[in-house]
Amino acid sequence: MSVDSHFVHKMWNDHELSKMVKGGVPFPMLSDGGGKVGAAYGVYDENAGVENRGRFLIDPDGVVVGYEVLTPPVGRNVAETLRQIQAFQLVRASKGTQATPSGWKPGKKVLTPGPDLVGKVWEVWKVSEAFE
Amino acid sequence: MLKLGSKAPDFTAPAYQQGKFINVKLSDYLGKWVVLCFYPGDFTFV
Repeated sequence: MSVDSHFVHKMWNDHELSKMVKGGVPFPMLSDGGGKVGAAYGVYDENAGVENRGRFLIDPDGVVVGYEVLTPPVGRNVAETLRQIQAFQLVRASKGTQATPSGWKPGKKVLTPGPDLVGKVWEVWKVSEAFE
Repeated sequence: MLKLGSKAPDFTAPAYQQGKFINVKLSDYLGKWVVLCFYPGDFTFV
């Protein structure tokens, strides 16, 4: 979503993005003329007249479970966004009984918070795992 | 800034997708995971 019109989105997709992504952008490119939606999410910069790089994860109940906002010159890390979605999906499927430690990726160890784990995380999780 | 754990503000926005102009309503996506991304502008570099 940006303040550009959906007509300009079409031009950008057809003339540039479709040269980077086969078949063009698969998801809807949203228009937020005037930045009203961006203002509601706290990412619209009214001085510059554009949105910052805000990225919101919204769960199936419509609840915001995470966000990241960067000023324009620095791009996002999409792999990290996907990792967070996978972690949130795992936690939701466990009905909140499981949690993903720092550095978790699919296939890696999850934690089951409870009285037995208090003070014992050091036994089951190593700092090096945060960087793997 | 939005509070984590609060409902995402609903909106309807005109959009372009795969050759078509459509209207997208956020609440139509209830039941699915959504990534909502804002960016400064079309034809920018990052």
